[in-house]
Amino acid sequence: MSIVITKLTKRFGKNLVVNNLSAEVNDGELFVLLGGSGSGKSTILRIIAGLTQPNTGTIVLNGKDVTALPPQARGTGFVFQNYSIFRHMTAAENIQFGLRIRRIPGAQRRQRSEELLDLVGLAGLGARFPDQLSGGQQQRVALARALAYQPAVLLLDEPFGALDVKIRAQLRRTLKDIQRRLKVTTILVTHDQEEAFELADQIGVIERGSLIETGSPEDLYHRPRTEFVANFIGGSNVLTAQTHGDRMRIGSADLPLPQGSRRNGSQMPVRILFRPETVLLQAEPFAVDSGVIVLGQGRITERVFAGSQQRIRLELEGLQGDRPLVGERHYGQRAAQIEAVRPSELHPQFHFVKGQKLWVGLTQYHILEASGFKILICSEEGRGDEAIAEFGFRLAETAGGRSTILTVVDSAASESSTREKLERLRGLWLERLGDLELRIRQGTPIEEILLEVQESHYDLVILGRHARSHETMGLGKTVRHLLEQLRMPVLIVQKPRSTLARILICSAVGEPGKADVHIGGRLASLTGALATVLHVGHPGETPEQRRRAEQHLHAALSTLEAMGVTSESKIREEPALEHILREVEEGEYDLVVIGAPAPRATRRLRWHDLAEQIVKGAHRPVLVVPMVE
Amino acid sequence: MTTNTQGNSSRTSGLLPVSFLLMVLLPLLLMPLGAIYVFAVRGGLSGFLATLRQPDAQFALRFSLLIAFSTSLLNGVLGTFTAYVLAKHRFQGREALSVIVNLPVAIPTVVVGTSLLLLWGPIGLLGQFLDPVGIQPMFAPFGVLLAHLFVTFPYMLGAVKPVLDELEVTYEEAAYTIGANRWQAFRFVILPALRGGLFSGSLLTFAHSLGEFGATVMVSGNLRLRTQTAPLYIFAQFEAGNIATANSVAAILATLSFVLFFVLLRFTERRSQRLT
Repeated sequence: MSIVITKLTKRFGKNLVVNNLSAEVNDGELFVLLGGSGSGKSTILRIIAGLTQPNTGTIVLNGKDVTALPPQARGTGFVFQNYSIFRHMTAAENIQFGLRIRRIPGAQRRQRSEELLDLVGLAGLGARFPDQLSGGQQQRVALARALAYQPAVLLLDEPFGALDVKIRAQLRRTLKDIQRRLKVTTILVTHDQEEAFELADQIGVIERGSLIETGSPEDLYHRPRTEFVANFIGGSNVLTAQTHGDRMRIGSADLPLPQGSRRNGSQMPVRILFRPETVLLQAEPFAVDSGVIVLGQGRITERVFAGSQQRIRLELEGLQGDRPLVGERHYGQRAAQIEAVRPSELHPQFHFVKGQKLWVGLTQYHILEASGFKILICSEEGRGDEAIAEFGFRLAETAGGRSTILTVVDSAASESSTREKLERLRGLWLERLGDLELRIRQGTPIEEILLEVQESHYDLVILGRHARSHETMGLGKTVRHLLEQLRMPVLIVQKPRSTLARILICSAVGEPGKADVHIGGRLASLTGALATVLHVGHPGETPEQRRRAEQHLHAALSTLEAMGVTSESKIREEPALEHILREVEEGEYDLVVIGAPAPRATRRLRWHDLAEQIVKGAHRPVLVVPMVE
Repeated sequence: MTTNTQGNSSRTSGLLPVSFLLMVLLPLLLMPLGAIYVFAVRGGLSGFLATLRQPDAQFALRFSLLIAFSTSLLNGVLGTFTAYVLAKHRFQGREALSVIVNLPVAIPTVVVGTSLLLLWGPIGLLGQFLDPVGIQPMFAPFGVLLAHLFVTFPYMLGAVKPVLDELEVTYEEAAYTIGANRWQAFRFVILPALRGGLFSGSLLTFAHSLGEFGATVMVSGNLRLRTQTAPLYIFAQFEAGNIATANSVAAILATLSFVLFFVLLRFTERRSQRLT
């Protein structure tokens, strides 16, 4: 094992850049760290080189722990995006620099630099100064310079980022050749998936400082574990299939569940992935014995010519699921969106035209790991919060998710008794939940909860609201602060409900929220609950406003339906609070979802009033969803 | 078309503003400089050389050159170090410090002289403790050097810091990963990149030191054959009515300054050409 990274964490101020990351790179392997900008990938590389100090964690290079060593003592070869060739030295002098530092005799140095110039394809250009070389040539010098002293590992930080496409492709081939020939263990950081595919033996996909998944390019493309990787790499179609027993239903097709993905729940949604190039399209229905999984008949909504291939987008009625295009979800669309690609042809046999109806089928698909719902239950010490914890566990159980229970203690002394209590609780639930983590942190609740949320990615945070704060008027300082700072769904529980059969989604204030419909729908689809969307309008609404509200409701219902949720809508008029509370009582809802508009001071005041009133008046768990974007 | 003719006409009618400018500049800049040379050679070449051969004049010129050289050398090191620290390190009070180190440009040199006297002079804040043990920095060559270091401090900094600021962090980091320690990275990677800045900074410092008057006259005590720099000598000779003597030294100083200035000009021109 040439590079072993263990539990690496790095913070810049309050920002968690690398999050408890562990990875291993085998001898002679080219490992690509693939991630978007700001994912922390460059920081990891810099930590390996010793240019940045980690907060915790260790780096082992070729069996030696180098965590405490300065960059000079690590023997890494580092190639920067901006080349960083020494401008006052010739190409040869640049390459010889590492040897000069190591006091290698001149003749030997010159011989080595000749070899390397040859290796990187710059033979004869050793006497040139950097400003007499092109960008690509400079980067070749940088590569030679990093290889000159036979480094333990080679680290490349977006090395081709500043070059144009043609040069980039040439340099990629050179790098691949050299790496294969020298068998030097290499980590390359990039945001370019094409580059990753072409170069990597192994790819590690990184997001928000965490390594999401590691695997060979083919595995990550065809058999990703997570939906994130499925969407991040390549074009993807992800649909929801419903399981029943050891089979699952998708569209009109009924398939056996592959071994290993069977779960005990009777009706569980599973996410299946198929790539655009594997989608079958034809005008006539598929033959019965063709072995094709027929998704149904779809209508072409878009055809895009993209050079070597054409992208065809289709809408399929009657399919449950949605196609998450990169960075964008189709809101308000009942039909599933499917993307297919076909090679471009000079004389096509078949013309794809917008509006055309085609049969859509599959022969291969891959089942993604259940993403489930990741829930953080914040339990406060000594306040009889078990009921709230149990509510969280039940929610996790019905939603098929994972949960973490967090207690913040103020001193080390009270930690053991807290742990004892939590362990007992865990013992009671472990069998039903399977995945239940305990977390005890020391400090002030607000800060520690914020940190926990930063370090692990949760879908939902559950906060208890105590009888004690009934006396005071507001939500309590902790809850209020967290609501303002978390920027994620917060479920405020004061009186836990034992079931989750009906969900009320309110779009009473601010702009109609898509986020609250999505999260309410996700919960409903996971738990099989019935969802009701409630809109409260002004009495003096113009017909235009009225129409928009109805449109929004319609879109919300379509979205919910596409997620496989049974839903209905209701329209009420102001006053909002009174109607919401009455609806909650009459409809026997178990959960109220309200959207929080963007935190603008004036709005926030009014919204907090309403949220507080609903929490206080409804005596139900209330899920507050911040507006994203 | 219209713009073209306008461009042409403005170019031809440029004769008027140019001649006006010359009329202003002639008495303002050119004629005074010419006057130095006219007066310097009035007594003939032999007279010119004779005045220069006087021991006082010889000392003043040598002393000035020595001070200017030492100042350039010391401020070269000090200014580069300051620039390096200010450019590469982030610390509390960094902003304040970068203002302070540039302050000498804005302070009248006479005030600089006064403040040095008030610190190091026999009754000064620190000088009062040195005086009893027989150390007197003021009214001595060392005092002159101190004054010159103070006055010319920003020039080196101003020439080196922009170069350092432009140098990417990765430049130095590359050297570290290759195996260079801090000193080697500075010596082999940073310093060579600063060559241009160091050269022009030193020339500027040298030129300014050569002509320094205000602070020098305060701290030197104007002692002939001990602390008298060339500008002070010129002033003293003028006061005593020895116009020809004063002028000879002045002509030498002016010539030196011209030469320095042209070297600097040529150098910066070449650099800017190379950069484009």
